[in-house]
Amino acid sequence: MTSLARIKKWFESRKLKSEERYDEEKKEFEMAMGEPVIQVKITMPKGFEDQRTHFLNLEKDQQFLEEVNDLVKKRLTYEKRGVKPES
Amino acid sequence: MDATVIIFLLIFLLTILISAIELTPISVAALSGALLTAWFGIQYGVFTYQEALGFVNVSILVLVIGTMIVVEVAERSGLFRVLALYAIKFSGGSSAKLFVSICVVSALVSMFLSDPTAMLLMAAAIVTIAKVLNSDPVPYFVSATIMINIGGTSTLIGSVTNMIIGVEAGIGFLDFISYLALCEVALWILTIFVLYMFFKPRLGQWKELPEYKPLESITNKGLFYKSVFVLVILIVLFLALENLAVGPEGVALACAILALFLSKLDPAEIFKKLDWETVFFIAGFMFIVGGLEKTQILNELSVQLFQIAGGSSLNASLMTLWFSGLASAVVSNIAIALTFTPVISSQAFSGLNLGAIWSALILGTNLGGATTPFSGAVVIMAIGALKREGVSMHLGDFTKVGLMTTTLQLVFSTFYLIMWFGLLSV
Repeated sequence: MTSLARIKKWFESRKLKSEERYDEEKKEFEMAMGEPVIQVKITMPKGFEDQRTHFLNLEKDQQFLEEVNDLVKKRLTYEKRGVKPES
Repeated sequence: MDATVIIFLLIFLLTILISAIELTPISVAALSGALLTAWFGIQYGVFTYQEALGFVNVSILVLVIGTMIVVEVAERSGLFRVLALYAIKFSGGSSAKLFVSICVVSALVSMFLSDPTAMLLMAAAIVTIAKVLNSDPVPYFVSATIMINIGGTSTLIGSVTNMIIGVEAGIGFLDFISYLALCEVALWILTIFVLYMFFKPRLGQWKELPEYKPLESITNKGLFYKSVFVLVILIVLFLALENLAVGPEGVALACAILALFLSKLDPAEIFKKLDWETVFFIAGFMFIVGGLEKTQILNELSVQLFQIAGGSSLNASLMTLWFSGLASAVVSNIAIALTFTPVISSQAFSGLNLGAIWSALILGTNLGGATTPFSGAVVIMAIGALKREGVSMHLGDFTKVGLMTTTLQLVFSTFYLIMWFGLLSV
């Protein structure tokens, strides 16, 4: 291996410091310039323990996601115009 | 040469070498060097324990830490992110305007943020906008790195080396501006022009920007306005320093306390994020230089340099500029600043134009930091961030641009020092 190649290998082995902070900053910029995204953690409601599999499948259930999306729209409309969403 | 001088010089050179290749963290290298200096110094009777306690200039450390706290609070408020978002929005999608905006805002944020933190912020901004516009991020990365390096050259808190030189030489906030503000503005224009001409073919065409409101990225508006308030107070107090009975470190500390009090953030969280690596490196290296001073070697060096300069302010300034500039391209510019301040402060230089020589040291230590990929942490950060995004940049490509811009900046600074301080007529 040539000296130059060794220097290059040593240089590339050095990691980007503060990777976590870089990721946080990048997320903030993506949120500001791209489409903002929120992540909500939902715990399985008590009394439905026998439906565990069904509950877990909701994460990928397209119809359920659309319903959540509609709920967000209703909520934002309420925030904007003061019109109470239908329950 | 005395055996103790040789030992102290070896400790000094080894610390610089180990820090440069990062064989150990730079703070550990400097503190180990300080420990060895203390051991040999007391053992051989070069200085006493009491004298050694005075080697570390606490004012410099307080100024650095105080400024770091104020800026950390401002950084958390999203203030600098908003600046970057406005700069991108201002471009309206024009590649030329976007390039200039990125360059200007990089230099602007680095007037407050440390260079690595400014690079993290700008790297995140550039990666995001490059993805949105589907453009090549490399020209923006290289240019941001170079602009971050020169941003803040003319302000007391613009870089750690400025704080060291400012406190050691007693150069106030206003002196910095009067000596170097014009030079810095000219350097920005010159550097942006050269970088733009170099990268023009790679910048691409106009593209539509997404609609966004920069202020909406602020989640805590109260913290945002409080941070702006504290920063304004900091600058106003620095400007009024001559009328206050305190030094810049007192102002920085007072503003740090104000920032912590108003922000209501968890101080432990803020302290955890400060750049302690740099703080301990400064403390350790200051001690090593303090030991060297006691051997009188730095005094002898001052006399030698004075003789080489032929007692001329012009020669002394240009030697300081070019030596510190080239040395900072290879080793830590903090080490260069700490070593040169006692040399210039010595009696030998007292009859020369000190304003010009201090300005030369400030310019040299600031400009050399983005010459090669090995010149400073900010370049390593830029290349690391690009690698993380799966974009490769050849080390040679950066070196080509870095060498070109640093040389141009040093040549321009040479003319500036001669003209601004009337060195030809002295």
